[in-house]
Amino acid sequence: MNGRSMTDDGLPLRVRGLGKAYRRGVVLRDVNFDVAPGAAVALLGSNGAGKSTLIGCVTGDRLPDRGEVRIGGADPFADPAKAAAALGFVPEQPFLYGELTVAEMLRFVSAARGMEADGARTESARLLEMLGLAGAESTLCRELSQGMGRKTAIAAALLHGPRMMVLDEALNGLDRPSAARLVAELDARRAAGAAVLLSSHDLDFVAEWCGSGILLGPGGVWERLEGELWERWRRAPSLRVEDHFP
Amino acid sequence: MPRSGHLPLLLRLEATRLGDAFRHPRAGTWAGVLLPAALVVGGLWLAGESWRPDVGDGNGRFGLGLIAAAPVALQAYTVLFRPGDDGFLRRLGIPARALFAQRALRLLLVALATALALMIPRVAAGEVAAPLAVALTSALVAWAVSLWKFAGAAELTVKPSRRPGLLSKSMALDPELVKAGPLVFAPILPVIAGGIAALLAGIDVGATLPVRAAVLIAVALLLFPVAARRFERAVPRFGPHGGELAYAPPPEAGDSHLVIGRGLARVLPRRAGAVRARDAVVVDRRFRWAGRAVAPLAVFAVLALIRAGDDAAVRGWVALACGAMLAAQGVAVVALGRSERGRLRWLDRASGLTMADRLLGRWAAAFGLSLGLVIPLSIGWAVSVPTSPGWWWIAGAAGGAALASAASVAAAGR
Repeated sequence: MNGRSMTDDGLPLRVRGLGKAYRRGVVLRDVNFDVAPGAAVALLGSNGAGKSTLIGCVTGDRLPDRGEVRIGGADPFADPAKAAAALGFVPEQPFLYGELTVAEMLRFVSAARGMEADGARTESARLLEMLGLAGAESTLCRELSQGMGRKTAIAAALLHGPRMMVLDEALNGLDRPSAARLVAELDARRAAGAAVLLSSHDLDFVAEWCGSGILLGPGGVWERLEGELWERWRRAPSLRVEDHFP
Repeated sequence: MPRSGHLPLLLRLEATRLGDAFRHPRAGTWAGVLLPAALVVGGLWLAGESWRPDVGDGNGRFGLGLIAAAPVALQAYTVLFRPGDDGFLRRLGIPARALFAQRALRLLLVALATALALMIPRVAAGEVAAPLAVALTSALVAWAVSLWKFAGAAELTVKPSRRPGLLSKSMALDPELVKAGPLVFAPILPVIAGGIAALLAGIDVGATLPVRAAVLIAVALLLFPVAARRFERAVPRFGPHGGELAYAPPPEAGDSHLVIGRGLARVLPRRAGAVRARDAVVVDRRFRWAGRAVAPLAVFAVLALIRAGDDAAVRGWVALACGAMLAAQGVAVVALGRSERGRLRWLDRASGLTMADRLLGRWAAAFGLSLGLVIPLSIGWAVSVPTSPGWWWIAGAAGGAALASAASVAAAGR
């Protein structure tokens, strides 16, 4: 870590001086950004640019070489329980227990998060209905299609009302009506103060829905796209860093 | 949820998942479990004398202790730090203490199963009580020491200020291994502790064997709370780091390692040959340990047979070590099938590979994996033990490969 300390300033996500390298080279170099309450931030970059690594460092799935991360003011590596309470994460390849049914999976997640049983049951039913999974409660997770599995993972991630939602290609495999209802749900949560960090290759959707972005390039190059930079990117969305920063 | 509530929740989850095999029985799952189990039980039963060190003798007890402790120590890292749901549970905010308790219980089951499995050849000979006490002492001491040692090693591995020790530096060829040095050497102490515990359990100091065994286990259990605290400190940083330790850089040679139809593999039909080549490369990369230990073991086995092959005890130890290596390779082949379940099988279907192609190709890959060991072993055996034909090793390896590949294909599913 770089020695600079951060305090709980109420931000859903704060990243400072984040660096990460693998054997093949540097992937993230001194990345700094905040995600404010109500914001929807796009994480952009071509394949291998480091989007999943950055998300992993934020969610506690990758250990940064340097830098600090705070989710709802909590360090995911020093105070994982508090960070977990503030985070809802849908990975690109969601993890589900194949031996559990959809309802059992959500029940386990709500119990692990310490949610009150009746409230959790009501919220589970609402989320399943919203995602078009009503009626699939008794289906074993290993028998779900890719899209249904993703929807189950989304329901599990949103169940506890997290302040910070990190969605890694979460809209992939969702049918249009479900995707539209999910976006409406996310909008409602943003209006209530939650924030979204979204990785997606659907640039048109990202340009329309998100209010700012982080563009990652090869070798740890990155740029925060805000204000005029974001507007310029929205007019001609592209994942090539050199198109925007010659 | 109160902290104390997470362990029962995890145990209920565990029970539900285990119960799934009974609630929704699938032939592939059962074949993947029962075939290797039958192989181990049958092997232990038939091995007889070779697997029955005399517990009335100090060397015999120490030997039995090492045999009982080794599987526990070697499984400890995987059980403690590499469960498939590790990241998911950490992201749910499950406290590290509950994760530790759950995984310690899993490793305890491994220890108990190992001690009981080692009684199979004893049952055949009708002697169980004293060897069971010795084996249980060793396995449980190795369990407690493994928890303590591995949790400490994990904590050390992610300590920013750590400087590699001499042993870690000895692996300087690979900087990633140097970083993971404490974990690489962590199994040694639990294995030795298990051997010593078994040795001490048999020394007559006035108390009966069960009392001595209970005292030794109780002493080892003092490490449990220390191990829990170490694990709690280690896991938030080591959890994500452990996944990266498993990362292997892509080979630089492009596709040159995947050679189809070379050597004896020419006799295979083209499609089965392709499966063999693929499976051999995947097993070699995914389960590198299954091939790495072969050369040194073969050298030691042949040297031991040449120097003292007329000694039944030496032959027994050679047979034990080589049999264990072959069983471990079989486990790797079965694990390959399990890793394909629900994911990679589409590629075989789309390529038009039949079950026979897959079975034959996988058998050839599994058998090929064992040849580096069984060819020198069978020659050494035939030369030093004229009364016992060495080719039985090759036949045994071929049979074992057939069982392992059948279990692997069954575990992969349709």
